[in-house]
Amino acid sequence: MSRHDVRPRASEDADEDETEVAVLPDLAALHVMATAEPEPAADVAPVVRLDDVHLTFQRAGRAVPALRGVSLELRPGEIFGLVGESGSGKSVLGMSVLGLLPAAVEVRGEVEVCGADMRTISPGQLRRLRTESLGAVFQDPMTSLNPTMRVGRQMVEACGSKQEAVRLLDAAGVPDPARRLRSYPHELSGGLRQRVMIAMAIAGKPKLVVADEPTTALDVTVQAQILSLLRNLCDELGTAFLLITHDLGVAAQISDRIGVLYGGRLAEVGPAADALERPMHPYTAGLLRSRLTLETDTFEPIRTLRGEPPIPESQPPGCPFGPRCDHRTDECEALLPPLVALTGTDDRATACLRIGAIGDLVAAEGPVAVGVASVRERPTFAGRPAALNLVGVHKHFGGGRHGLRRAAGAHVLRGIDLLVREGEAVALVGESGCGKSTLLRIVAGLAGADGGAVEVGQGARPQMVFQDAGASLTPWLTVGEQIGERLRSEGLSKLQRRARVNDALRLAGLSEDVAAAKAHQLSGGQRQRVGLARAIVVPPEILLCDEPTSALDVSLAATVLNLIGRLRREFDMAVLFVTHDLAAARLVGDRIAVMYLGRIVEDGAAADVVERPAHPYTRALLSAVPEAGVRSVPLKGEPASPHHPPGGCAFHPRCPEALPRCATDEPPFEPSPAFGRPVACWLVPGPDRPPDAAVD
Amino acid sequence: MTTFVLKRLASLVVLLVVLTAVMFLLQRVSKTDPIVAYLGRGATGPAAAQARHHLGFDRPLIVQYVRYVDDVAHGNLQMSLHTHHPVMDDLKTYLPPTLELLFTALGLSLIGALILGTVSAMRLPGAGLLRLVMVAGAAAPTFLLGQLGVVFFYRRLGWLPATGQTSRNGVPTGPTGFLVLDALFSGDWPLVMDAVKHLVMPAACLAIGPAVAIGRVLRSSLMSSMDADYTRTARSKGLRESAVVLRHALRNAASGPAQMTGLQVGFMFAGIVVVEQIFAWPGLGSYTVGAITNSDFPAIVGVSLVAGAVFVILNAAVDIFQAAADPRVALQ
Repeated sequence: MSRHDVRPRASEDADEDETEVAVLPDLAALHVMATAEPEPAADVAPVVRLDDVHLTFQRAGRAVPALRGVSLELRPGEIFGLVGESGSGKSVLGMSVLGLLPAAVEVRGEVEVCGADMRTISPGQLRRLRTESLGAVFQDPMTSLNPTMRVGRQMVEACGSKQEAVRLLDAAGVPDPARRLRSYPHELSGGLRQRVMIAMAIAGKPKLVVADEPTTALDVTVQAQILSLLRNLCDELGTAFLLITHDLGVAAQISDRIGVLYGGRLAEVGPAADALERPMHPYTAGLLRSRLTLETDTFEPIRTLRGEPPIPESQPPGCPFGPRCDHRTDECEALLPPLVALTGTDDRATACLRIGAIGDLVAAEGPVAVGVASVRERPTFAGRPAALNLVGVHKHFGGGRHGLRRAAGAHVLRGIDLLVREGEAVALVGESGCGKSTLLRIVAGLAGADGGAVEVGQGARPQMVFQDAGASLTPWLTVGEQIGERLRSEGLSKLQRRARVNDALRLAGLSEDVAAAKAHQLSGGQRQRVGLARAIVVPPEILLCDEPTSALDVSLAATVLNLIGRLRREFDMAVLFVTHDLAAARLVGDRIAVMYLGRIVEDGAAADVVERPAHPYTRALLSAVPEAGVRSVPLKGEPASPHHPPGGCAFHPRCPEALPRCATDEPPFEPSPAFGRPVACWLVPGPDRPPDAAVD
Repeated sequence: MTTFVLKRLASLVVLLVVLTAVMFLLQRVSKTDPIVAYLGRGATGPAAAQARHHLGFDRPLIVQYVRYVDDVAHGNLQMSLHTHHPVMDDLKTYLPPTLELLFTALGLSLIGALILGTVSAMRLPGAGLLRLVMVAGAAAPTFLLGQLGVVFFYRRLGWLPATGQTSRNGVPTGPTGFLVLDALFSGDWPLVMDAVKHLVMPAACLAIGPAVAIGRVLRSSLMSSMDADYTRTARSKGLRESAVVLRHALRNAASGPAQMTGLQVGFMFAGIVVVEQIFAWPGLGSYTVGAITNSDFPAIVGVSLVAGAVFVILNAAVDIFQAAADPRVALQ
C-alpha cells in the first residue's frame, strides 16, 4: 500500500461532466484532518473561503474560463503562497478576493472574505471591508502609486492621519518617514515605493493582504528585503497574506502553505517546505525541475516541462496538465481530477488521479537532483580571436548644457573592459541602473560610446534578442517576412529565401506554419523563439541577449535557455547574455561578469564566481537568490543612481565590509592572484598589493 | 518658473517680430494701394501724393520697415486706413468684447468637455445621446449653427437676443472692459442679466466644436487612467468611486485635454470672425472683416499681433497648468 492513501469523497460521480466533479467539497477533508490532528489556528474562522469557484470572462463574445472550480481556505495569520504561470488564474483569484473583478465576469461558487459574501456584497459594505479588513500590494510599484499625489496624502487616504502614516511607513522600513510624506512617488526608488504600498496595505491592521507579485518588478537584492519585510509584518501583526507569484522560490521562502494553480484549478496544496521537498503533483515536480538554481547541472540541458501552459479558451476536458504530463493515462484525458486530501500526510492535498500509483515516483524526481554536476572540463577559448573587445568604454546620458546651467547627466558606463572570444558565452549580471543594457546596445551598434574602444569581430553583425519578445516584433508583418528581412541583401530567390526562413524556424524549435503567423497569434514562448530565429537566420558572430527569459514563465524560460545553448554550439556563436539572475547566468555563461553602477567589479569562470565569489556584491547577489526555507540576509539599501554615483567604490554605501578607504578611492579592476580573475575591490589583494596592505 | 515665463516672453517677442515682417512683406507684395484704402477709390493727383508722403509710403522699403518696427515697438500701430483712428485705439475698443466672448466660449467648452468626457468614460446612462448631440453640433459649420440658434432661440422662443452685446445704451466702460464684469462691479443687475443673455448664444456656437474635440481626448485619457494601476490601488483602499475618479483619475488624465485646449484656442480665433458677424458682436472679428475688405494693412497687422500674443500666452498657461497638475513634468 502506498503511503499516499487516496481518499476521494464521492469520486464515483467523477465520470459526470466537469462542473459536477468540481462541486466536490474538496477542502472539507482538509478540515476534517485538521480537527483530527488539532492545530490551534484551524479552529478560527478562515479569512478567505473559496468554495468551488468558477470565474468566466467574456472576451470578443467568447467565454474564457479563468478559474474552474477552486476551493481554498486561508487561515488567519498565515502566508499562503499561490503559485502559477501566466494564464493559470492566480491574479484573477486575487482580484476576486479584493472584489476588484470587472462587472462582466461571471462568478459561480462561494467567495467569502472575512465573513462577507463577495457575490452579494453592496458597494458600501465592500468599501468598508476594504478599509477595515483588506490590503493590497501590486506588482509594479512604479505605476501603482498615483504619480500626481504626494505620498503623504495617499497614505492618509488609507490610514486617516499623518502620525499614523509616519508610523506605518516606519514599520514598512521607509527611512526618514516624516520627510517622505512630502515626496512624490517618482522621487522614490522602486524598493521604497513598494514599501509605501506595503505601508498602505497594512493600514488599519487588516485581516488579509493580497500581494500580487510584490517583488517581480524589483531588483534581486531588494526582493530579498521586501520578502523578509512581509514575513516580519505577518508575524508581528497577525495579518494573513495571500502571496501571488510565478516564482516557486519566492513562495517557498516565506510562505507557510502553498497552493499551485494550473489551468484555473488547484493542482496541489500543502505546507510550503513539505510540498516543495516532496511534490505530489507532476506539475509541481516539473516546475521545481525547470527552476534555475545555483545547483542546477550546467552540463546537461535543463530538464524542462514540454509544451506550454494551456490557453484558457481551449482547455482539455480532462486534467489540465494532461497534455504535458509523462504519467497520463486515458483516464486523465477524460476526467477532471478533484483536489483530494491525502491521508498519512500533514495537511496536504493534490489533484491527480494517479497519485496512488505515481506519488512516490513524482516525489522522488521532484526537486533538482543536487550534487550530480559532472566533472567534465569546460572548453577553453583562450587561444581564439576576439568576437568582441571593449576597452575603457564610457557612456554619458543627458547632461550637457541647458542654457547657462550644466545639467546633471548620468554616467552610465564608467570604463568597461570586456573581452569575449569566438564561441564563448559571457553572462553580464547586475541590477537595474548598472548599465548592462546600455552596454549591450553599444555592442549592437544601437548607441555610440562616448569614450574607449569597441571592437566587434569581422563576421556577421551582432544580433539582439530582447526581453519583451512581443514588443520586438512588428505587429502587422508576418513572422516569415520579419525573419526574411535579414536576407534581403543576399540576392536570394523567393524560394531560397523561404527555405532559409524555414530552416531558421526549425532550428528555433518552431514549425514552418509559424512563418505565416503574426506576432499576436503566437504564445510568449513562441515569440521568443521567433526572436531567436530572426537572430540566427544569418548566424552572427556574437549573439546579444537582453534578459530574454525574464518575461517568460518558469517552464518556458528553461526551454529558451536550453535553446540558446544549443544554437550557440551549433553555429559556434559567441554570446553576451545580460541578466539580473545569477542562476541563469551560471547556466548560460562560460564566464560571469558582475556589474555595479557602470563598472565591472568581478569577471571570471562561471562556476568559480558562483562557488568562490570574490567581490562582496557578488556574494550579496548570490545570497539574494530565493531558495526554499533559506532566509537570506538581505543587502541594505538599493542600487545608487547613476546620476549621483557615490565617491570611491560605488558599492561602499551598501557594502557590509567597507573600509574607510573604500569611500574615497576607487579600487582598480585588476587581476587578483588569490582568485585568478580580475576583481575591483580593496578587500581583495591585487597583483601589486600584498594582502595585508589591503586592510589598512 | 521665472525662467520659464521669461523664455516664453522672449519667444513671444520673436513671434511678434516675425509676424510684423511677414505682414509687412505681404502688404508690399500685394498689388493693393494703401492710398486708395485711405482716401477712397477716387484718390488721384496731388492729394494722393500728399497722403502718400504723409504716410511715408514714398520712402525706400527698408526705411518704411524700420520705421514701422520702431513705431510698433513704441506702441504705435499706425493709423487704421478704414476707421481713420490709430489702430492701437481701435484694438483697445474692440479687443475686450472679443476676449469676453473668447473666455466665455473657452469656459463653456471646458465644461462641455468635462461632462462629455467623464460621462462617456464612466459609461453613465445618457452618454450615447449626449455624444450624438455634441458631435452633431461640432459637425455643423459655425455659421449654420449661429443661424439655427437665431431662428430657434430668438425668433421662435424669444428667449435670447440675436445681436450685439447689450440692448441698452450708455453702458459702463470700465474697469475690465468685459461688460458682464463691469455691470457686476457697478451693481447693475438688470444689465448683468442682459449682457449674459447676449453672450450665451455666440459663446455656445463658438464652444461646441472645441468641447467635442477636448471631450474626446479627455474621454480616452480618462479611460486609460481609470484602468491604471494607481486607480486600482485607490479602489483597494476602499475609497468611494467619486473620490477615485475626481481625486485620482481625473488629474492624471488632464495632460492631453490641456494640450488640446491650447490648440483649440487657435481654431476659436477663426471661428470668432464668423460668429461676431452673425451676432453683430462689436469685437475684433467684425473689425477684421472691415480691415480685410478695405485692404487696411495696419489694422490687419494689429489684429494678427494681438491674436498671436493671446495664442502664445494661453499656450504658456496650458504648459504651466500641466506642470502644476503633474509633478513629473518640468517646465522648460
